Amino acid sequence: MDRNKLGKWLQSPGKMGQKYSLHALYFCTGCGIIEIPPTITARWDAERFGVIPVATPRQANLFLITGYVSVKTLRPIIRSYEQMPEPKFTVGFGSCPINGGMYWDSYNTIKHLDKYIPIDGWIAGCMPRPEAVFVAVTHLWTLIDKGMADGYKKYREDYHYYRENQEKILGKLEWPPLFSSKKM
Amino acid sequence: MVMNTILEIIIIILLAAIIGLFFLGLSRKIMARIHWRYGPPIAQPVIDIIKLFNQTSMSHGKLFNFGIIFSLSGSVVVLLFLPLGEMCPLSSSGGLLVILYCMLIAPLGLALSGGEAANPITSIGISRKFLLAFGYELPLLLILLTVMTHFNTISIVDIVNMQLQTGWSFQHLPLLLSGIAYILILPAILDLRPFELIQAPQEISSGPMIEYGGKFLALATIQHAFNVFISLSLFTNLFLGGAENPGYFFLKMLIVFIILLFVNAVTPRFRIEQAIKFLWRWPALLAFAGLIIVSVTG
Repeated sequence: MDRNKLGKWLQSPGKMGQKYSLHALYFCTGCGIIEIPPTITARWDAERFGVIPVATPRQANLFLITGYVSVKTLRPIIRSYEQMPEPKFTVGFGSCPINGGMYWDSYNTIKHLDKYIPIDGWIAGCMPRPEAVFVAVTHLWTLIDKGMADGYKKYREDYHYYRENQEKILGKLEWPPLFSSKKM
Repeated sequence: MVMNTILEIIIIILLAAIIGLFFLGLSRKIMARIHWRYGPPIAQPVIDIIKLFNQTSMSHGKLFNFGIIFSLSGSVVVLLFLPLGEMCPLSSSGGLLVILYCMLIAPLGLALSGGEAANPITSIGISRKFLLAFGYELPLLLILLTVMTHFNTISIVDIVNMQLQTGWSFQHLPLLLSGIAYILILPAILDLRPFELIQAPQEISSGPMIEYGGKFLALATIQHAFNVFISLSLFTNLFLGGAENPGYFFLKMLIVFIILLFVNAVTPRFRIEQAIKFLWRWPALLAFAGLIIVSVTG
């Protein structure tokens, strides 16, 4: 943890600020709501890493999607993601957002979440232990340092790809395209 | 002379921002230690503000931008009327009456700005904010009236100077009642736990702050830091005798703030009607008793 190195703060304050102040928006629609409260309260205090939960997407820059994503919850996930200010980082928690997990043959579950919004990192497991959140956070720091956590840039560049996938599964979306990106 | 005043103004604003943010960071650390957690570093609010200024931010209209600046400048104006040790750039004019008027500008600005966002939860938060302000303004007015009647002046600098000769106001009986009343309404002014019903993240998703992000949230945080500084500094000046040097002054503020944090850590949240009932009963009653004793004994 290089939080106390003043030289780095003077060199790139924006990057260091984004690293050590991750305001997390937890999207606990499926499972995973049991694992999140211990991480943010007294047992595994996430606040010492600068991670605190916020109640609204406007204030958040870390989006944590825990558990399976059903077709119905995909719409609020997309809207919340688009409301977050850039730079924003997304982490899929649990094996269900990765490839469907135990719902691999369900008719009503999204199998690959990264087709619909860009994901910067995954935490595998069913369910992962709360410590895994901290492994993910420290790994995310490395990615931010190297400039590799650029999901929000990808969303800007390849918006037509994500929008196409979203419309394929949700039908017509009621909001206009966010970015005017050229077709392939 | 003019240069001196300008320098004092700049120093006071910077000091207030630094001390306010330090208090916010300290509050998070102390709350964490009470919960048996390690807690964030004390500079965490500063880190948050650096991050927020480096984010894209979404504006909701002209009034949204204007309101937040309005509220911030309202807080800055109040700062200049409060003596900080020997420093008080605008001491010769107004005094307590101006402070009483200008203290309402900050919530008004936030309400204007939040109202422009047109989120239904924002309007719940704003209505709670004004109801709570309605609740604590009555005791606050009675307290300030008591102090002004007791010292027979409206100048806050004169009040501090008189306390240097006769001892803290806390030592005299009628003002002791007002001081206790002020401590009881301080959590409502500072948005601390028994009265933390404006933001209430679990209930109304941080209320008026719900549409703020990026630099707007950063400005709102700085305004909150100013608010913490103003209300604690007003209490220290009126009841704890002010101080000759700023260091001693900040120590007094810190002790009052830590006592409030201990209450904050162990109490749940009032509902709005319970809060109004409490504020208009006990602090108002104590302040009113103090006012009657002061005006009878002269």
